[in-house]
Amino acid sequence: MSDPRRGTQRLIAALAALLAAPQARSAELALPGEIPDLQLHGFISQGYLLSSGNNYFANTTRGSFEFSEVGLNFTLPATDRLRLGMQLFSRQLGPLGDYRAVLDWYYLDYHWRDWLGIRAGRVKLPFGLYNDTSDIDAARTAVLLPQSIYPAENRDFLLAQTGGELYGYADLQSGGGLDYRLYAGTIFLDLKPTPGSPTTVLNLDVPYVGGGRVMWNTPLEGLRLGGSLQFLRLDFDLLTPVSPASIMVKLPATLWVASAEYVVRDWLFAAEYSRWLVKTESSNTEIFANSSTTSERGYALASYRVNSWLQTGAYYSIFFPDVDKRGNGRETRQNDVALTLRFDVNRYWLVKLEGHYLRGTAALNPSLNSNLPLSALQPDWALFAVKTTAYF
Amino acid sequence: MRLRGFILVLLLSAAAAAASWSSGFVVIVHPKSPVTRVERKFLAEVFFRRATRWSDDTPIRPVDLVPDSPARMRFSQAVLARSVASVRSYWQQRIFSGQGLPPPEMADDGAVVDYVASHSGAIGYVAAGTSLNGTRAVEVE
Repeated sequence: MSDPRRGTQRLIAALAALLAAPQARSAELALPGEIPDLQLHGFISQGYLLSSGNNYFANTTRGSFEFSEVGLNFTLPATDRLRLGMQLFSRQLGPLGDYRAVLDWYYLDYHWRDWLGIRAGRVKLPFGLYNDTSDIDAARTAVLLPQSIYPAENRDFLLAQTGGELYGYADLQSGGGLDYRLYAGTIFLDLKPTPGSPTTVLNLDVPYVGGGRVMWNTPLEGLRLGGSLQFLRLDFDLLTPVSPASIMVKLPATLWVASAEYVVRDWLFAAEYSRWLVKTESSNTEIFANSSTTSERGYALASYRVNSWLQTGAYYSIFFPDVDKRGNGRETRQNDVALTLRFDVNRYWLVKLEGHYLRGTAALNPSLNSNLPLSALQPDWALFAVKTTAYF
Repeated sequence: MRLRGFILVLLLSAAAAAASWSSGFVVIVHPKSPVTRVERKFLAEVFFRRATRWSDDTPIRPVDLVPDSPARMRFSQAVLARSVASVRSYWQQRIFSGQGLPPPEMADDGAVVDYVASHSGAIGYVAAGTSLNGTRAVEVE
């Protein structure tokens, strides 16, 4: 069996060579003959996380460098309507990623008209303002997007689907424009066992994921409003110590988010509100009871570019895993206040510093916290993050 | 009467020159393009690559200047209503999510003129006063 880290090492070596090249910018590889230019872009990020009280994403109370991302993408505009693309990606975030290089996305994109195009392949999921760009550190001020709506630990579930997508942009003349995407497919997941968990996942399928996003670019320049809806189902085949036979647990979920963003000059304001309804349908209700839970999520964010090398940002994010149990204990919520400084050293390199003050433990992972119940973890805690990214 | 007409022409020319000077850039198209003027909103959609075809179905080929060019800064603020840095963030999102590619960036005005002159459907902008070398300036409404 091949060592996944070797693939990543090759990916990093290729990126390092490109970044060190005198023309370290979006490389356009002119191929001979009639074939148009192949565009090559990439990024390397390394972060450090330190928290007080609770471990978040990794063993952060001791400080953790397990916060790395590497990406390399190729885009070939084969004709003026057809484009091919793919991105290799590798990451480490605590126990997630494990430096394995994967095909993050790949597609063929036929842009028939501005109002209708089709993509097929593994396509990023449009959910909210930033889900499909959540890996792209260079494209935002914050180190961590608001985790209520963009949980980094759920990246494998929420980032991309394998299937098809219809998309387009409709010019509404004086009414602005509509940007829309509609998709359907499945998600292939490779689930690792959770250390300390008494339950073993024998199999995990996602029989379907589908949904869409509509964003209205309003007549007020820079203001866009929209909504996203997503349906998916996770089918688990589980083995537990208390049952000799495996148990089938189906989790049909409906997720929606309402979004608003206003970009004006060097300011960016954004706010989103979301609810995720997850049902549990079990073949053995004595062990896994059927249930239905709605979580509530939201944030408000602002960022400002002070000058060519400095940006500041702040957000306030809320997360209630069960709207019917809001406020009944630290494990029923997680509020997060974040402040960020972003320094653009040059056009290809940036450094970010970020501080978080958090109340509640709802988004913490017990397996990173000695398998203690969330109600036993520290209710008020802080997180410090530093991250540097080079990109071209 | 002749004098009044002359003064009127002089005033109109001065106003046009002042408008061009205040914006600091001129939008140019391929010499064979039938386009004589473009709406600012449409121009923004072209440079965000939301509008990709002219009315005769010719592909639109926008071309940019490098980010530190003064003409690009003025174009970005006046047409796209965003700073150059904000536009770069937009393209980072598009590139790394596989949604699209930005217009090519040229090092100087001369390179933009050469690109527009040699690519049918091309549209770009250059600093006011740049020699257009066969490309044609269009009015932005």
